Amino acid sequence: MAAPGPRLRLAVAAALLLLAGAQALAPSHRLTGRDLARLRAALERPFADLQAAFHSIVGLSNLGVRVADEKAACNFIKSNVDSSSVDSLFYAAQSIQVLSGCEVTVSNETRELLLGAVSEDSSVTQIFHAVGALSGFGLPLASQEALSALTARLSKEESVLATIQALETASYLSQQADLSGIVEEIEDLVARLDDLGGVYLQFEEGIETTALFVAATYKLSDHVGTEPAVKEDQIIQLMNAIFSKKNFETLSEAFSVACAAGSLSRNRYHLPVIIVPDGPAAVSHHQPVLRLQVTNVMSQPLTQASVKLDYAKSASTKATVLQQTAFALSGDTFELNFMNVKPASGYYDFSISVDGDKRFISNKVELKVKVSTEVGITNVDLSTVDKDQSIAPKTTRVVYPAKAKGSFTADSHQNFALSFQLIDVNSGAELIPHQTFVRLHNQKTGQEVVFVAEPDSKNVYKFELDTSERKTEFDSASGTYTLYLIVGDATLENPILWNVADVVIKFPEEDAPSTVQSKNLFVPKPEIQHLFREPEKRPPTVVSNTFTALILSPLLLLLILWIKIGANISNFSFAPSTIIFHMGHAAMLGLMYVYWTQLNMFQTLKYLAILGGVTFLAGNRMLAQKAVKRTH
Amino acid sequence: MSGAAGSGSGSGAGAAGSVGSVVRRFLVEYGSGTPSRLKVLDAYLLYVLLTGALQFGYCLGVGTFPFNSFLSGFISAVGSFILGVCLRIQINPQNKGEFQGISPERAFADFLFANTILHLVVINFVG
Repeated sequence: MAAPGPRLRLAVAAALLLLAGAQALAPSHRLTGRDLARLRAALERPFADLQAAFHSIVGLSNLGVRVADEKAACNFIKSNVDSSSVDSLFYAAQSIQVLSGCEVTVSNETRELLLGAVSEDSSVTQIFHAVGALSGFGLPLASQEALSALTARLSKEESVLATIQALETASYLSQQADLSGIVEEIEDLVARLDDLGGVYLQFEEGIETTALFVAATYKLSDHVGTEPAVKEDQIIQLMNAIFSKKNFETLSEAFSVACAAGSLSRNRYHLPVIIVPDGPAAVSHHQPVLRLQVTNVMSQPLTQASVKLDYAKSASTKATVLQQTAFALSGDTFELNFMNVKPASGYYDFSISVDGDKRFISNKVELKVKVSTEVGITNVDLSTVDKDQSIAPKTTRVVYPAKAKGSFTADSHQNFALSFQLIDVNSGAELIPHQTFVRLHNQKTGQEVVFVAEPDSKNVYKFELDTSERKTEFDSASGTYTLYLIVGDATLENPILWNVADVVIKFPEEDAPSTVQSKNLFVPKPEIQHLFREPEKRPPTVVSNTFTALILSPLLLLLILWIKIGANISNFSFAPSTIIFHMGHAAMLGLMYVYWTQLNMFQTLKYLAILGGVTFLAGNRMLAQKAVKRTH
Repeated sequence: MSGAAGSGSGSGAGAAGSVGSVVRRFLVEYGSGTPSRLKVLDAYLLYVLLTGALQFGYCLGVGTFPFNSFLSGFISAVGSFILGVCLRIQINPQNKGEFQGISPERAFADFLFANTILHLVVINFVG
């Protein structure tokens, strides 16, 4: 196949671009109630050490949950804090910020230790922990110096984690310092994200790093007052990646996801909105209201928002049935009674937008809503139509769900016909469902044949059974068949299986199978007799024997001729070489005969080599002698 | 036995026109002008020719089964005929000028050797 021409490629690329621009990415993952419970359970483990305590306490606070026993937690921190370790001090300081009424006294030495850690010589992690601890304990900090140390150190450590920690550190520093350098790192980090299929965006270091990045970005942006340099689609992709992880292997991973969830549900700039239907997106007369859950990433309902239906179009006809209608808030969900506009059954494309807060992102969504209805069968006429058109067709009307009385016959003189109409019970409109089948079931043999009933131009379904046309489907098995009508569709709430009537079908006798053939595939098949290769035709033995005798006659002729010519054998000298030569030659001829009857090529060659060698030497001698004799 | 000059044409033109007289003349010339050694060889060649022709005729008559046997027999005849003709050419004293280095004995030895190989193959093929 030739490669598509450049013009076609351009068209495809343009179409893709249009599609990409037209539809913003919708969030594919979020923290449902169950996910939140799992996250909470992961964080609510008993504290193993101070770092674990920090992860649990601060993680839970990000989810908006308080620790179960705050006093015990406070005591744990106080007893486990190590005043000589900057990390330990950081965990303690951050944890007590969350717990109410928890104080840790900080000695001067500790303070000196922390201040000393804020220098170019410490790693970024050390600087981060020191600044965080100082801020957590409420100790004064020289922001400008800290910033310069941080910037200097960051230029040496290029890793993603170090940069994220730098972002967090900057969020503790005073706004007097010029934090724009650090803020620019956000953009650089965004460039380092990996795009997976256009749906996910994450660092190659993993989900934990990605989640920490999101939390740090919003923390810093809120602190500085600048919108983070992340595009809306990128935020959605980050969300998808972070919340795709439902099981957490380590406490720090759970902590990072909790921080990300917390920051995405309450920051000053971007609030992703999740719009999902409550239950299946389907309405019907029994269930006319479409319910939507409009929440943030932590499945907390955004009851302040205003939810509006931009338009609702029929998926098949693309006609707009409703537009610019508001959803009403009912408890935690937003609802709309769609059946008020009396839509025909089928699928509809809904475009819904959520407003109310400038920070909302991914607040437009496209939804496919199914409108179901119930089907009714009317004007069901069963008739036998005479093939010769001489007798008027006999028509019987049947009403669903009754069965027709008496049976109908279809044979070589008359066809059986069925016609009916399908309507929407609620609106009275004609329906064309996906499945309208007529099933004929042979009561004796268990055979069944299914036909499709087709609607004509007036949407009246017709089915006609002509025995001569259809005998192959039935295997010409005559008998009484039960006729069923099957109607089904995705948008029907009441699929129908209706035993309409009994039909006696008679096929012409000569076509009837001798026995009822059950199509059993697993019986032994008839044995195949192997046909051996026929031997070639040979002439009769008499002929070939005659020919053999005939062939020997030229030999006779030769001998006679030789005698006549006077072949000279008088010069036969009885020298040893002559005798050996002739004997050797005779032996070679004998060998040829033996080869024909018994030996194979290799054995023959072996013997031939020996005999031939002998004969050659003898013959050479003999001929040489002859030559000498000749020349003399 | 040793060569008289010229076989075939000889002195003067034969009887003009008549095929029979040409043939008779040829036979006379042949009988007198050819050494007996060559006549012996010619008899052999005639024998081989007849054998081959008979084989071919039989094959035409009753069919080619078994084909390999027919082929080997026929090729044996044809091959032997060719080798015999080669020997005759080489032995013919009139062609001495062409075959300086090859004595009649040498030619005969070659003839035997080639025949051995030919019949080895033929016996292999006859089946």
